[in-house]
Amino acid sequence: MEDLTSISEGARGGDAAAGAPSDDALLVLFANGDHGAARDLTGRLGPRCYSVAMRVLGNRAEAEDVAQEAMMRLWRMAPDWRPGQAKVSTWLYRVTLNLCMDLKRRKPHEALDAVPEPQDGAKTVPERIQEAARADALQAALMQLPERQRQAVVLRHIEELTNPEIAGIMDISVEAVESLTARGKRALAKALAGRREELGYEDD
Amino acid sequence: MTDKDTHLEQLFAAARRQGERLPDDLAARMLADAGTVLSERVHPVQERQRPSWRQVFDYLGGWRGMGGLATACAAGIWIGLAPPGFLPDPAELLIQPDATDLFSDLTLSELYVEEG
Repeated sequence: MEDLTSISEGARGGDAAAGAPSDDALLVLFANGDHGAARDLTGRLGPRCYSVAMRVLGNRAEAEDVAQEAMMRLWRMAPDWRPGQAKVSTWLYRVTLNLCMDLKRRKPHEALDAVPEPQDGAKTVPERIQEAARADALQAALMQLPERQRQAVVLRHIEELTNPEIAGIMDISVEAVESLTARGKRALAKALAGRREELGYEDD
Repeated sequence: MTDKDTHLEQLFAAARRQGERLPDDLAARMLADAGTVLSERVHPVQERQRPSWRQVFDYLGGWRGMGGLATACAAGIWIGLAPPGFLPDPAELLIQPDATDLFSDLTLSELYVEEG
């Protein structure tokens, strides 16, 4: 069975690998009844949607619900999609963040139990523990940021999207994105300053 | 780049390495949803063509319409059985025993004689 759980480098960059159909083309195929296209889209977009939801919500179960609902909206929207009008991934990020905000409004609590399991089998146990501790510390610091700063930082520095793309997703100007990410990074650096040694980073 | 920035970049890099996998059961649920959406899109016409009491019910106005209809029926029956004083009794209008009974004062033997 094809691995749907990790994302290819080409897909992360926003463009399909050479020769592979674009997200647009896959969505049209799906709208025409091709279930195989759904498998490809889930493999490409599912991890991104889940990853963003988890970083923004800080809760694994809620992130799974949001990611599933976002993909459900993608399936339902497919017949109305106009290829070339916008990027499918941009649309999906926007839906995912809106669902996250809806959830936060309904359940205004902050959960910190959602650090992903280490996936790299080549690492030793102490390395994995340290990696998890680093991700845990980052997630805890992210959860202290205001909502919009957290979204912008996650999209820019974890999803590695460009500022114009983030501006499109968040429906703000590129300058506003730059301001949000700069303030977010300063706040994160401050929150994490006391934990460098504890997390295994030596002073240079 | 300051130490703080480097430290943060290292944390972001670690988060990127860890945040890229989709749980297997979540991927399966996403695909199952896609299958459901596709099957809904293929079969909706059959759903629409099937006549049902539900459609008749909806045509009559759903619960609200049917409630009004039932109340009107009950009121009609009640007025029929026990009409208020200012209305004529429908039972008397139908039967009218004395005014139209031409033979009420004749005996059976007299009727035989009349018909010869």
